Amino acid sequence: MARITIDDVTKRFGDGDESIVAVDDVSLDIRDGEFIVFVGPSGSGKSTLMRIVAGLETQTEGDIRIGEQVVNQLGPRARDIAMVFQNYALYPNMTVEENMSFGLKMSTDMSSGEIEEAVTSAAEMMDIDMLLDDKPGELSGGQQQRVALGRAIVRDPNVFLMDEPLSNLDAKLRAEMRTEINRLQNDLDVTTLYVTHDQTEAMTMGDRLVVLNYGELQQVGTPLECFYRPANQFVAGFLGSPSMNFFEGAVEGGTLRADGFDFDLTEQMQSAVGTRNDLVLGIRPEDMTLHDRANSGHEFEAVVDVVEPMGSISYVYLQARSQSHDQTFIVETDGQRPISEGQHVYVEIPDEDVHLFDPASGETIHQRQLGEDAEMALEEQMKPAE
Amino acid sequence: MATTDGDSATASQRLDKDTREKLVTAVRHTILLTWSFIVLFPLYWLASMSLKPPGTANSLPPDWIFLPTVYNYIQLLQNSGFVGAFANSLIMVSASVVLVLLIGVPAAYVLSRYDIPMERDVLVWILSSRMLPPIAVVLPFFIIFRELNLFDTRIGMVLMYVSINLSLVVWVMKAFFDGIPETLEEAARVDGATQFQGFRKVVLPAAKPGIFSVAIISFIFAWIELLFGLVLTSFEAVPVTLFVYSFIGSRSIEWGMLAAASTAMIIPVVVFLIAVNKYLAAGLSFGVVIKE
Repeated sequence: MARITIDDVTKRFGDGDESIVAVDDVSLDIRDGEFIVFVGPSGSGKSTLMRIVAGLETQTEGDIRIGEQVVNQLGPRARDIAMVFQNYALYPNMTVEENMSFGLKMSTDMSSGEIEEAVTSAAEMMDIDMLLDDKPGELSGGQQQRVALGRAIVRDPNVFLMDEPLSNLDAKLRAEMRTEINRLQNDLDVTTLYVTHDQTEAMTMGDRLVVLNYGELQQVGTPLECFYRPANQFVAGFLGSPSMNFFEGAVEGGTLRADGFDFDLTEQMQSAVGTRNDLVLGIRPEDMTLHDRANSGHEFEAVVDVVEPMGSISYVYLQARSQSHDQTFIVETDGQRPISEGQHVYVEIPDEDVHLFDPASGETIHQRQLGEDAEMALEEQMKPAE
Repeated sequence: MATTDGDSATASQRLDKDTREKLVTAVRHTILLTWSFIVLFPLYWLASMSLKPPGTANSLPPDWIFLPTVYNYIQLLQNSGFVGAFANSLIMVSASVVLVLLIGVPAAYVLSRYDIPMERDVLVWILSSRMLPPIAVVLPFFIIFRELNLFDTRIGMVLMYVSINLSLVVWVMKAFFDGIPETLEEAARVDGATQFQGFRKVVLPAAKPGIFSVAIISFIFAWIELLFGLVLTSFEAVPVTLFVYSFIGSRSIEWGMLAAASTAMIIPVVVFLIAVNKYLAAGLSFGVVIKE
C-alpha cells in the first residue's frame, strides 16, 4: 500500500506548435488506501494521467511519487503496481491460471507452490476458480473482466490502476461489477486509481473524485461534494444524470433575465454576483417543480416537448413558452404524473436549489443550499484528512 | 370455402418454398462439385500419370484403366540427381523460411509498434523489391552472385529466397501485429516483464497464426521458384524445380518421370500444411484472433 503524489505534472504530445497538452500542470495527493476516481469526458487527460502513474507514459514535466520514492525514472515493472485495462488485455495464448501467475513469475522469486496458492486464493476470491484451465477466448466478457481483476489482485501490489474496466460490459453486469470492485477495494484496502467517463461509476465508487477536462484539474473532492458544491459549471454539468440545466441571462436590478423567464435573485445571490452583468443559472432537473397552473407568480409557462417515462420517475423536456431561442431543459417528475407532449405547464425554480456561475470563467459564484444535516455531513467530508 | 382456399394457398406457397430450397441446394452442390472437379482433376491426372507403366503415360486416347506401378518412383529414387536436388531444396527452402522469419517478424513488429520516421516510405521501399518482374533482375543478380562467390552455392540460394519473401513477411506480419492490442505488452510490462520479454512471451505467441501463415506461403514461393535456380545454380545448389524441368527435353518429354517428380514435390508442402493447419484459418484472416 502506498500514498501517491502527483506534483505539477504536465504531459505534451508532439513538438512545437503542433503539440497537444494532454495533462496540464496537475497536482494531487492520494492517501494510502484511498479509492480515487479520475473522471472526465474523452480527451480530458484522465487516462494519460493514469498511464503516467503506471509508467507507461513519461510526463513532460513534474514528479510522480509512490510512497516516498520519486518514480519518474522507473519503468512500470519497478513501480509495484497492477493494472486492469479497458479491453482486459488478457494474454490470449495463456490459460487463466497462466495469465494470473505471469506477473508473479516475472516480478517475484516466489516458488511455484506459493504462486499456485496465491493464484488459487485470488481465483476463489473472484469466483473464477473453475475457469483456471480455460483460455481467455473461451470466456464471456464478464468472466474475462473477473480474470483481469484476479490477475491484478494476485500481485498484491502497492497500487491498483483501473482504466475504464467496466466500459465493455452490459449495463446489468456493469452494476454488479461496480459493487464487486467497491467490496474488493474495501477488503484489500489498496490505494486505487480508477479512470472512467461514466459519472454514475464515479459517483458510486470513489472515496474522492478527480474531475478533469482538457487536461486541467477541475475539482478534487468527495462525490457528494463535487455534486452539491461544484467548483465550476463544467463539474456541475458533468456530474448528475440528466445534467444540470443551465440558463444564461443578464442581471437587471436584482433580476436575472433569461431567455423565456425572469428569476428574482435573493439578497445572498445579489451580493455574490456583485457587479457582474451576465450570469448562468444552474438547476438540477430533480429540483424543479411542475404545476398545472400558476400559483405564486414565480413560475413561468413552458410547453412539453418530449416525455421520457423511466417508471418511478419521468424526464420531461420543456421549452419556455416565450423564449426566443430553441432551448430545451429537463425536469424530473413523478412517474405517475400524467403529462403529455404539447401540454402547457408552469415551472418553478426554488431559490434554495439554484447555482450561479460566471459565464466567462465558468466558476461557481453561488452554491445551492442544503438541509442542516446534509450541510454538516458534507462539511465533515470536506475537512482535510490528517 | 374461403378458409379452404386460404389453406390451399398457404400449402402451395409452402411447397414452392420447399422446392425453391431444394433447387438452391442442388444448384449449390452442382457448382461445388464442378469446382472440386476443376481443382482436383489435374492433381488426379498428375498422380495417375506417375503411376502408369512406362510408355503409356501420355498415350492417346488415355488409358483410364491400368495397372498402377511405382516404376517411375523407383527410377526417381535411383536417380541421385533428383534425390540430391530434392534434399537441396528442402534444406535451402527451410533455411530461407527460418531466416526470413528471423529478419521479417522483428522488422514488422518494430514497424507496427514504434514511430519510425517515414514509416510509409520504408514499407513501400520494402515492397518495391517485388515490383520488378524477376526476369528483369535475374541478370544483375547473376553478376552480383558471381562477384560475391555466391553462384551455385546453397547460401546464395537461401539469400535469394529470403529476398523474394521478405516483403511478404514484413507486410503481412505488420498487419498482424497492428491487430494485436498494444495493451497486451503494456499489461506484460506492468506485470514485471521487460519489453523484450513482453514481445517474446506475449506478443509472439499471440502472433503464431500469422507467423505460420507467412511461413507456409514463403515455403511455397521458394519451393516452386524456378527462374533464379535456373540462372544462379549449375550443379551444387540445383533446386528440385530445376531438376523436374530437366525432364522436359528439347526433343521429348519424359512424362512419367515428370509426373512422378511433380507429385513428389507436392508432398513436403502438404506435410507442412497439415502440421500447421490449425493456425492457418486464423492466420489468413490477418490477426482477427484477439477477442476483446
